[in-house]
Amino acid sequence: MKQKKTKKGQEEMVGFGLIIIIVAIILLVFLGFSLRKSQKEVVEDYEIDSFVQAFLQYTTDCQDNLEYLSIQKLIFDCNTGEECLDGRETCKVLNSALIGVVEESWKVGGDRPVKGYELKINVNEEEMLFLTEGNITNNYRGSAEYLPKEIDIYFTVYY
Amino acid sequence: MCIMVMKRKSDKRGQLKIQQMAFMLMAITLFFVLVGMFVLVIKFSGLKESATELEEKNAMLLVTKLANSPEFSCGGAFGSNRINCVDADKAMMLKENMHKYINFWGVSNIEIRKIYPKADSDVICNLGNYPDCNIIKMRPKEITGYDMSNFISLCRKEFSGDEVYDKCELAKIMVSYEKK
Repeated sequence: MKQKKTKKGQEEMVGFGLIIIIVAIILLVFLGFSLRKSQKEVVEDYEIDSFVQAFLQYTTDCQDNLEYLSIQKLIFDCNTGEECLDGRETCKVLNSALIGVVEESWKVGGDRPVKGYELKINVNEEEMLFLTEGNITNNYRGSAEYLPKEIDIYFTVYY
Repeated sequence: MCIMVMKRKSDKRGQLKIQQMAFMLMAITLFFVLVGMFVLVIKFSGLKESATELEEKNAMLLVTKLANSPEFSCGGAFGSNRINCVDADKAMMLKENMHKYINFWGVSNIEIRKIYPKADSDVICNLGNYPDCNIIKMRPKEITGYDMSNFISLCRKEFSGDEVYDKCELAKIMVSYEKK
């Protein structure tokens, strides 16, 4: 009788232990799922896109018969080999304007977040202008802007 | 007599069983309460961080669309519709009427800072010195907390002799939120 009772008690203890273990496992799984951080959403790189769109609108000091030319218009004029009203070559004005714009906007350095950049303007897949500064790293973001007359602008920033 | 003794014995056993069940129920309840408290503590400890994260994301989304909102955008004033173009004259007028826009965007401050051509020193714009200045602060207070910025083209009408032409400069629009 006594042995039977002890056996029954042991069985109940084992059952209780099993319930506790199962509940603990379920809770741990639930906790694991709830604590797992949602994967960081891929943030669209708005900053580089905006930069390209903004610098294309920048008004340079090169004037034609109608107006002061924006960088976008200067790219078209440089492609056709035109000159500013004061006789300067549009390509030279474009080059200096772009250097100024990019240098002031993206400060490059080893102790800075931006390690380097590349700006490439292609016409009919041939290089018209290429600007680069700093180091090329594996961590980069870029933007491409396609203008009429087969003009493509690629800007890449290395972090 | 024998039946009475048997009955008492089985009553005692039943009581014991009930007691056992009550203890087990209490233990399980206690266990669940402890685990629940543990989960709650962990969840609430990250609440502040997630609120900040959410606000940062909000600032990023706002800054991308702010330049193209009717209150800032160039619209048709500078030829065809431009993207990421802010009308500086509009921004100045908005700055003067900013009291009407409190809590409109839900940010603590909006600032437009010219980047190129580079100015020698920082000059905050007001109606007296505009356009010979490089920072348009929508509210006079300093940018505190955290901020998000985006490149824009800051355009205005400029005089050259008798002619008026469109002058666009490179600038950054900054949106700031108070740290909670």
